[in-house]
Amino acid sequence: MKKNNRLYYWLFLAPALISFLIVVVIPFAMGIYYSLTDWTAVAGLKSNWVGFANYKAMFSDFAFKYSFMRTFLFTAISVITINGMALLFAFLVTREIKFKNFFRAGFFIPNLIGGIVLGYIWQFIFKSVVPAAGAYLGIPALEELLILADPTLTLFGLIMAFTWQYAGYIMMIYVAALLNVPQELLEAADIDGANFFHKFKSITLPMIAQAFTITSFLTLVNAFKQYDIIIALSKGGPSDMYKGEIVNSSEMLAVHIYNVAFKYNNMAEGQARAIIFFLVLSVVSIGQVYYNKKREVEM
Amino acid sequence: MKRILSLMLVLMLVFGALSFTGCSSTTEEPAKTEEPAKTEEPAEEPAKDQEVVIYQNKVEIHEQLTEFAAKYTEETGVKVTVKTSGGDSPYAENLKAEFQSDRQPDIFVIEGMGGYNTWKSKLAPFEGQEWMGLTDLAFNVEGNTFGFPVAVEAWGMAYNADMLEKAGVDPASLTSQEAYKAAFEKIDSMKEELGIDSVVAMAAGPDMRWVTGLHNFNGYLSAGLPYGDTTVLDKLNNGEADVDRLTEYADWVELLFNYADKAVLLTGNYDSQVGQFGVQKAAFVHQGNWIDPWLMSNGVDFNMGFAPHASVYGEHNAIFIGAPSYYVLNNESENKDAVNDFLNFMATNELGHNYMVNEAKMVPAFKNVTLMPDAPLSSNVAEWLKVDNGAYTWLQNDMPDGFGMGTIAPLYEAFAKGDIDKAEFINQLQKKIEEIE
Amino acid sequence: MGNKKKVVSIVLTILTLILFLLTMFPFFIVVINSAKASLEIIMDPLKRPDDWGQLWTNIKIIWTKPTVKYASSVLSSTIITLGSLLTISVFSAMAAWVLVRNKTKTSTVIFMLFISGLIIPFQVVMFPLVSFFRVIHEVTGIHMLRTYHGMIIAYIGFGAPLAVFMFHGFIKSIPKELEEAATIDGCSKPQIFFKIVMPILKPIFVTVIILNAIWIWNDFLLPSLVLGVGQDIQTIPIAIQNFAGSFVKKWDLIMTAVLMAAAPVIVLFIFLQKHIIKGMVSGSIK
Repeated sequence: MKKNNRLYYWLFLAPALISFLIVVVIPFAMGIYYSLTDWTAVAGLKSNWVGFANYKAMFSDFAFKYSFMRTFLFTAISVITINGMALLFAFLVTREIKFKNFFRAGFFIPNLIGGIVLGYIWQFIFKSVVPAAGAYLGIPALEELLILADPTLTLFGLIMAFTWQYAGYIMMIYVAALLNVPQELLEAADIDGANFFHKFKSITLPMIAQAFTITSFLTLVNAFKQYDIIIALSKGGPSDMYKGEIVNSSEMLAVHIYNVAFKYNNMAEGQARAIIFFLVLSVVSIGQVYYNKKREVEM
Repeated sequence: MKRILSLMLVLMLVFGALSFTGCSSTTEEPAKTEEPAKTEEPAEEPAKDQEVVIYQNKVEIHEQLTEFAAKYTEETGVKVTVKTSGGDSPYAENLKAEFQSDRQPDIFVIEGMGGYNTWKSKLAPFEGQEWMGLTDLAFNVEGNTFGFPVAVEAWGMAYNADMLEKAGVDPASLTSQEAYKAAFEKIDSMKEELGIDSVVAMAAGPDMRWVTGLHNFNGYLSAGLPYGDTTVLDKLNNGEADVDRLTEYADWVELLFNYADKAVLLTGNYDSQVGQFGVQKAAFVHQGNWIDPWLMSNGVDFNMGFAPHASVYGEHNAIFIGAPSYYVLNNESENKDAVNDFLNFMATNELGHNYMVNEAKMVPAFKNVTLMPDAPLSSNVAEWLKVDNGAYTWLQNDMPDGFGMGTIAPLYEAFAKGDIDKAEFINQLQKKIEEIE
Repeated sequence: MGNKKKVVSIVLTILTLILFLLTMFPFFIVVINSAKASLEIIMDPLKRPDDWGQLWTNIKIIWTKPTVKYASSVLSSTIITLGSLLTISVFSAMAAWVLVRNKTKTSTVIFMLFISGLIIPFQVVMFPLVSFFRVIHEVTGIHMLRTYHGMIIAYIGFGAPLAVFMFHGFIKSIPKELEEAATIDGCSKPQIFFKIVMPILKPIFVTVIILNAIWIWNDFLLPSLVLGVGQDIQTIPIAIQNFAGSFVKKWDLIMTAVLMAAAPVIVLFIFLQKHIIKGMVSGSIK
């Protein structure tokens, strides 16, 4: 009987665990090793140990530092815009309004569209629709606006497309949190004559703090890893001059890692950058959750 | 290691069957339907007979090539599979992924020395094939033939002949930067009369890095030099820049940018650039004869031709002519004979000629082809081929991998936007060249 | 008071409506431009199409395009998505169940291993993964790249951490008594799991399946590495990218392709809306 139990234990674990080992754990370990070699990934070629050379090369590469900076910027602004929009949506669809279920579903729909497809839609909007709208409205500035030629506008264009996609999803989490706010508490506050902002601050806000821990984690991680939208919308462009160096203004880290490995033909260096990417993402995301958990308790 | 791995996998696969036998209830039904999906895949695997897999990069000829391959299979019984990736999913990157996989193509595509250097460990030379005697454009290294030329392509300054006539500009006079300058000024002053937005349809944005970083930059490498002269290229590959030549070249770039439409220049894609020329909103377009199918499918019917690029100072009477890409043979292919048969068939059989000329609208690189292209720019290329010393060499694919589109193309964009001035543009180009090895 | 409330409600409804219309605007652009011809779209992307019949023409073009292989791509995407959803959810539930019910050190270690998978970004394993899949082929002769089972195993590997985490949390809250009673009745472990535990887990199944479905159906980078680009098996995002990304950008056809990629999912969502939203809301609080 005991033996039987052990057998079932491993049998039940095996499919998920083995897949996980094959797909994540083993490649992860291989990746750490490869980042210390001159690995090329081409079948049949031996790789040689190079120590930390790939890491050294990375820190002296201006493009990498620049990419890091842009990724942080993109992530920081995205977290704000997505959570802001999501909260607004969530408030609206939990109020006493008509067709709220219909609206809620509508706000969620962009989330069904993948980054690649969505990127092409927005590329078309920025390139063709915006100038055409300028012509209709008779605003020459809008007609001649080349969003994807301007580094700052492109950054905001990417954030806009990402927000469009993701706010509806984050809204769902806030909706769940808001529906948990006890109605009696709000009514009691009404009787006490508390105004809207007061109620919001002292009752609703603490209730959504828990949700915020999740939503900020999700938005942060997903913004930091963004690849699909950039590839289809801006392809890393437009170029920009930064401190006397030519850079690709929307080449965020995920795109950068891929480009180093494939475009510049340097798999090992790409892998080393991926390791750093992982370390930074872990520190930032875990730190963020830790900080928010602490705040949650204090509130 | 071997044993553990196999054990793990076997365990994994056996599990599907094993785990559900213990319990028989309705929950098991959906689980079973998943099994066929797992096992169905090897259906394509048993390729006992010879099968040729081509992994190629021209999305625009995928349909035609697939049809030709089907006809070939009808004729010979040998299966040829065409796989294509191109465009935004750059072929070179996908090819690298392809070679990391466990199934490699028999034929793939390189574009020149850059590709050769990346892939030389994977290439087998062609030996004693019929097609080799029929072309001057095969890709050779140290006496060995490695590449089958896919086509002949050319670019110059493509012009709208009807419009130039209306403006009183003789395309034959466009042989130097001064002549271009005068012509551009004249046409620019007649914009309203001619109904154009700008003189030149030029693109330098993120979608069009091949136009600037490869084609335009090739002017620096080969314009004004005898065909086959690689002195400037060799210096570049050694990290040496010819600053005087760069300065002359930058004047040409500036001239083109000054007379281009800003929207097309900065964010345009292929469609908007060629479209601007096609709908007669520009008198010139910086593209090659590969735009023929686009023009024809959109009903463009004005007369056109190529004028030389005045990339550097002096007189020019040549356009850039070469083979854009080559089919190469994977040295690990188990179907080398079948590959040779297929390529010979394409170069020598009428079906092959018909495919290249009439279906794919290409200018074939083979002398035995008698069919003449009917497309406007391609037929102009055929005329340029007859001009003495009418060709400048294609060297843009012989630079280090990623240099043209990755390293220097963003500089053109920055220059076009005005982020950097001409002096800085020259300076940066020089710096990037000197950073090579 | 009542009047004021009414006014507020109307104002908020209007505000919501405006935001809703803005959200829908990109879809509107896609739909009207799918029904235009090439030059028509260059001339004016905002006007109504001259002839809605063009939509049908464009759909036929995309349907037969050999680079898009629409029907085959939809089929591949469906096989991969369904296969992965089924295996991720069932396998993860099985794993989570034994991990909860066997409180040993091994279980804790394995659970922690799964959890650590939650913070590993795809980028850090993607290059070695392809190499390792190739090694598996060299060693065992089993093709992992360019195959359905390879793709599905990859999704199990990446999907398991979150799914195991969610099932783990839920199973902890299920009382053991039911299962113990079944053991006394002579039910075997698999019977207990499939007949008793699985039905209780239904809400979490719904959540896990929805979350993974949206991810897998739309995923691009992972399938582009495992399946390759321009190969026999290609998912919808790969097909769209390979087509739309070519140098020749035909926006009319790209918009049609986008419409054809998005429409099935949106229609499915509209039909299953209630369940999906309920599943998401209940799952997200966890």
